[in-house]
Order: sequence, then structure tokens, then C-alpha cells
Amino acid sequence: MGYINTIIILGGINIIAALGVAILTGYTGLFTIGHAGFMALGGYMSAIFVKEFGVPFPIGILLGGTFAGLCSFIIGYPAFRSQLRGDYFAVATLGFSEATRLLLNNTRSMGESINAAESGIGMVFKPIGPLLVKLGGVFGYMSLPSPTNVFVVVVAVILALFFAHMFVTSQYGKNCIAISQDEVAAQMMGVNLLKTKMIALFVSAFYAGVAGGLMAFYFAYLTPSFFTITKSSDLLAAVVFGGIQSLIGPVITGFILVVFPELLRTFAEWRLIIYGFLFVIVMIFRPQGLLGYVEMNFEFARAWWNKIFRRKQNSQEG
Amino acid sequence: MSEEILNIKNLTVDFGGVRAVNNVSITLEPGEFVGLIGPNGAGKTTIFNLITNAIRPTAGEISFKGKNILGKSPDRICQLGISRTFQNIRLFPQMTAYENVELGFHSEPHYSLAEAFVRTPRARRIEIDTRKKAMELLEIVNLKEHSHARASSLPYGLQRRLEMARAMATNPELLLLDEPAAGMNDDECNDLIKLIREIHTTMKYTMIIIEHHMNVVMDLCRDSRIYVLNLGSLLAMGTPTEIQSNPDVIRAYLGETKND
Amino acid sequence: MELFIQQLVSGISIGAIYSLLAVGYALVYSVYNFTNWAFDGFMAFGAFMGFTAITSLFMPFWLAALFSIILTVILSVGTEKLAYSPLRVRKAPRLFMMISAMGVNLATVNIINLIYGGVFRKFPVENLQPIFIEGVSIGRMDLMAGGISFGVLALLWVFLYRTKWGLGIRASSIDILTASLMGINNSGVAIVVFAITGVLSSVAGVFYGIKYAVFPMMGIVTIKAMIASIVGGLGSLPAAILGSMILGILETLVSGYISSTYRDLFSFMFLIVILLFFPNGLMGKSSDEKL
Repeated sequence: MGYINTIIILGGINIIAALGVAILTGYTGLFTIGHAGFMALGGYMSAIFVKEFGVPFPIGILLGGTFAGLCSFIIGYPAFRSQLRGDYFAVATLGFSEATRLLLNNTRSMGESINAAESGIGMVFKPIGPLLVKLGGVFGYMSLPSPTNVFVVVVAVILALFFAHMFVTSQYGKNCIAISQDEVAAQMMGVNLLKTKMIALFVSAFYAGVAGGLMAFYFAYLTPSFFTITKSSDLLAAVVFGGIQSLIGPVITGFILVVFPELLRTFAEWRLIIYGFLFVIVMIFRPQGLLGYVEMNFEFARAWWNKIFRRKQNSQEG
Repeated sequence: MSEEILNIKNLTVDFGGVRAVNNVSITLEPGEFVGLIGPNGAGKTTIFNLITNAIRPTAGEISFKGKNILGKSPDRICQLGISRTFQNIRLFPQMTAYENVELGFHSEPHYSLAEAFVRTPRARRIEIDTRKKAMELLEIVNLKEHSHARASSLPYGLQRRLEMARAMATNPELLLLDEPAAGMNDDECNDLIKLIREIHTTMKYTMIIIEHHMNVVMDLCRDSRIYVLNLGSLLAMGTPTEIQSNPDVIRAYLGETKND
Repeated sequence: MELFIQQLVSGISIGAIYSLLAVGYALVYSVYNFTNWAFDGFMAFGAFMGFTAITSLFMPFWLAALFSIILTVILSVGTEKLAYSPLRVRKAPRLFMMISAMGVNLATVNIINLIYGGVFRKFPVENLQPIFIEGVSIGRMDLMAGGISFGVLALLWVFLYRTKWGLGIRASSIDILTASLMGINNSGVAIVVFAITGVLSSVAGVFYGIKYAVFPMMGIVTIKAMIASIVGGLGSLPAAILGSMILGILETLVSGYISSTYRDLFSFMFLIVILLFFPNGLMGKSSDEKL
């Protein structure tokens, strides 16, 4: 039973982060290989708020998500401002994610040198020295509370899906879709590219941050090694396979991509190799992924649900 | 002083060594329907691109409703009231015809982000209202029955009409049409002429039309003026009759097959 | 002062390696308008092929380098033919190209990881004695890496500006459609562009492997090259070199005088700051899309 709980929790966390990537990559067409960075920022900040400042756990998570969202402006603003329709953003996401991980790896040593500093620049950071040491650098931020359980995760996933649906069906979301299909035409028709992209990025980073927070309070500790490029690749995979411009697709694949590796531990080393080949194959043969461009509305969900139920009933009777 | 809606003065743009637009000046009064013609490569679309700030000029001024618009971002210019269609159609291919038009209405969202997440009654009313207006526009361009079709699946002629509807959705005062009749046969051209004239009369836009189909331009601008561009410079300006009998204009077009 | 000169030389040498990568990145970007993430894997592949050639096939260094170059070119051109050109033919959006590229990268890096394991290996070259100039000891390998890298770039310059194929590539970087209408063979250009990419990444990989170490994730350093290319001005090859040299030197100075921990952080902040003040890069030219 515990094993299934673990799967649901980890799957749910992955789904929430994958929804974030879906909003940015699936709906706005912006490639990101750096969402692990936002998960890290959200995770650590949530942990700090709850453990060091006694903030209640749900609020801590929301604050962590918001922090990740605000951090996204650091790369969003310079990258989206450029006139060149460039890949600045894509490269910046990778740089940002790795820089974050490096920073987190060095929190303890930075904190220790700040604590030991008698003069110089280190003095400015004196107040946060002890906190940095606590974050533990490579060794991790330990002894976190762990209120994350199945119920919390399921509620979080439902809320995440609901709000994501609200966003992508709103005027903001539709502007994002326009950007993904023809950015120049969208701008000519009045869409403010900078603002719209930054909004999409903020929401997407928020989702990843929340996922990071839930993760922190499930494992009861955090280390930077949770948030590598591999994690970002996993999230991207959920969207690529699940479908461009779809929410349910990445939800399904986001969950499956957590379940399968657990079941196929022996093939762990092959996982990324297979993903790699699948990326190319999907792009060439079925770029819309599993459920791409299928508009999610309740009729669709209901019909789908009925299809499953009918199949289940048939197999039970048959 | 008459209120010009658009005032282009000494507009020049160089692309590397090529002067694509050379010292062009154009003025428009509100409600006018002006034609912009010239052989291929004359710089007509470039002028549209300059007006909408898709590219920046090397020299010159552009003012819209009395205010300078040079350097403003293209989306700001659209919000100020200038909209356009494209020479090579630029619809949102995977969106339906309806969604394409709707985008024109909400490119600048009508409600806040917070209201988007929790769709307040006000936001819902706005969306219903937008939907109504979008369908009305589709009706005007006779695309209502195709509203659910994916834009990329529509035949060429319908795509052109859809682009017009989308441009109209942005609620412009100045509408720039770039070769709306391209690829159409005579019957389609006649329908198009009727449609554009109707749009001009009902919506009271100021319009500039770039076209190669001479009968379309001459018909639509019969009560107005036509500017002729050649190799980036303004060759002539006048009524359709004046233009048609202008020897310079005829010479510029010699060698090109035109349907008259 | 001695430290400064040593740092400078080291910075120039790493800048030279970055230049190779940045030019490769900028070349593909200027012609095909997307970020070739697989570049990362090509570099690691080149390094590992060179390593294997020396350690398992007992080739002398220069033969091993050639071996590495040839194999990487095959990988690079193969990637273009199988993973990129089918998409390009269909005018796939940039996002799809990048996803495909990332797929190739994931596969390449992880296959290397599977076969060789994550161990950091030392590239087997004899420890060369440093050269002494004016009493300052300068790494001989640094000089070689710098010299050869610039040599390769010079060859590339000659190729691009003095040969017919180079002209074809330059024309394609402005507009592929027009270039093909002018009679330029698009698939030929593609092969040449990606062959060049293969050469650049394998040479960079070998030198990086010598200077630091050989390990599957070593290609991550291409992010520096991408940053350098963007800082210089994306799409321009000279700008890529400029950006690389600046980044390489500044980065090494930061590493030497402040701390090596902050070196990579510096590079990233450098990107952000430059973009804030120079949205199109230092030498950036804005490209206007055809409407």
C-alpha cells in the first residue's frame, strides 16, 4: 500500500511540474530545459519558510512557488526583450538551472566563509550566514517536516489542473497559443509579446516551484542533486510525449513517466537513451504527441472517462 | 488644417546596399480608400512594414492621428488603431477560423490575470460578448459556416477573407490590405470588390490597398486616389483615370502581364 | 603579475576552445535558425573517440585526432540527415527542431555514459613541460590548444570566404529559399555545415579533454559557448569568437582571483547583464523577418 502511495505522490508532484512546462512549452512554444531550477528555488524557499519561520505548510508552498515565479523574471525579461527572434531564452533556461544548482551546492561553504569573515564583502551577508550553512550545500537541507501525503498531492493536482485549464482557456492563454503558432502575426495583431511571455513563464515557474515544495515536504530533505538537467529533461519529455497544446496529455505522460522507471529499475540506464530516440521519432512522425491540439473541455473529459469505463465494463463482462 | 489620419514624410529605408523605399511621402484623410500599386519589388509591402514598425526606417517620419508612431512596438501600433493583412498569409494555422478572429479582439486582454484564473461573472460576460462580436465578423466576411475549421485547412480565398476579419477584430481606424485578391479569378475578384466596398462603407475604416489586380484597385479607388511606386520611389499619384493614362506609369509596367 | 599572465594565457586557451564551439553553434543558428543541442553530445563523442583511439586502439595522437574528427563528422551529418532535415523539409517550427536536437543529445550522452561510465578520465598525453617566457611559466598545452583552435578557425574563414561552398553557406544563412533558387544545393550545404560542426566539436572536445578531463557530461561546457555566442551577437561568426574570448578570459580571471566555484555562476550572470544592456548582443545585428 505504501508503495502505491509513493507512486501517487511522486507522480502527482511530477504532474504539477509537467503542467508548468506544458503551459510554457506546450502552449506558448518556448523551449525550456531549466525547470528543475524553478523546482529547486520553490522547494528550498518553501522549506525555509516552513522550517525556519514556522509558516504553515500550504502557505509555505505557495510562497515558494511565488518566489520561483519572481525569479523567472531574471531570465524572462532580458531574454524576451530582445528584438531578435532568438533562442536566448532556451539557452538562458539551461544556464539558469545550472547556475541555481551550483549556487545551492555551495550554500554551506558560502555560509561558513561568511560566518568566519571579519571584514570585506562577506560582512554584508552576515545575517544569512547561518541559514546558508543550514541549507547544507551538497549535503542537503535536512530534517524538514513531511506533511505531504496522498491527500495533499491529489488536492494539489486537482487545483493545478483546474487553474491551468482556466489559464489556457482565458484570453491570456489564447494569446500564448497565438504566440506559439505565429509570434510575428500575433504581435502585429496587438499581442504584447514581452508581457505575455513573462506571464506564461511566471505561471510555469510557479507550478514548478510548488512541485518542488511538495517534494521537499515528502522526502523531508532536499539536495541540489534532485534538480539536475535530467529532471528538466524528464519534464520536457512529459510534454513532448503528452502533447503540444494539451493539459491532459502531459498529465497522463507525467504520471506514466514516473511509474515506469519505478517498475523498470533494471533499465534505468536506458531510460534517457530511449527518451532521446523517442523525442526524434515523435517530432518526425507525430509531433503533436499523444493528445496534442485536443482542446480540453468537460465534454471531452467525460467522453474519455466513459470510454475507459465502458472498456473496463466490457472486459469484466467478457 | 485638415485632420490627416496618416502622414508619411520622406520615408526612406535601406537594406544593406539596397534602398528599398526612397523619400516617399503619403498623406491620408480619415475614411479615404487609397490604392498603392507598382511593379513587383517596388517597395509597397515594405511601406506597410514600416507603418506597422515591423522594420525601422533609415529616415523620415510617420505620424498617425497627429502623433508620431516611429519606434513604437508593433503591438502598440495595432492597439493605437492600425491593422493589416499579409502578402503571404499569416493566420494561426492550428487555430480555427473563429479562434483566429477572436484573437484580434483579445490580443490586449480585457480582464486581469487574476480574473482569468477565477473566471468572474464579469470575465464570463466579456467572453460571451467577444464571442458574439467574433461571430458577427465571420458573418460579414461570409465565413460563418467555416468557423470551426482549422485555418490551415481552408482554401486560399477563404484564408484571405479570414485574415481580413481578424484584422478587423482589432478595431482599427486604419486598415492595410496587402494583395487581398492575390490568386483569385475574375468571379472571386468581383465578390471581393463587393465585400471590401461594403466593409469600407459600414465600418468607415481608412484603408490602403496594395494590389496587382488592376480592375480591383481601379474599381475600389474610383472615387479616390492611387499612389504608384516604382523601385522604391513615388512615381505618380492621382485618380484612377489619371494614373491609367500616365505615360510614366505605363512605362514602369511594360513587360509585366496584367489582367485589365 | 606572473599569475595574471598565466591566467590570461589560460583564459585565451579556454576562450579558443569556446570559440570553436561558439562558431559551430552560431553557424548552425545563422543558417537554420535553431539551437543545435546535440552539439553537447558531439563534443563528448569527439573526446571519447579520441580517448578510445589512443587507449584501446593505440593510435598516436594525431591519428587519434583524425579518427575522432572523422567519426564525429559522420555522427553530425547523420544527425542532420535523420533528425533534422525531415523536419526542416516540413517547415517544422523551431521548437520541434530543438526538441529533436535535445533528443539526439540525450541519446548520445547517455549511450556514452552507458558504455564508458561516468568516471572522469585523463586524456592520455604526455605531460608537456611548460614553456618559460620572460620567466613566466606558460602551459604548453594551452598554447597548442589556442594555436590549433585559431588555426582551425582560420581555415574555416578561408573556406567560408574563399570557396564556392563557403559562398553557398553564407548565402543560405541569409535566406535558404532564395539561395536554393539561385542554384545552391541545399542538402549539400546541409552536409557541409554539419560536417564543419563535427570538426569543430571534436577538436574542441579533444582539447577540452586534455585541459580538464573526459567524462560523459563534459559537453555541458557548450552552454558557455552558447552564452558567448549570444553575448557577442547571435548569428554572427566573428561575434561568436569575440564573445568567446571575452568570456574565456573574464571567466578565468574570476576563477583565479575570486574563486573557481563562482566561475560558472559568473558566466551566467554575465549573459543576463549583457542582454539587459545589449539586447542583441555586443555586435548584434537585428534580423528582420520577411512579412
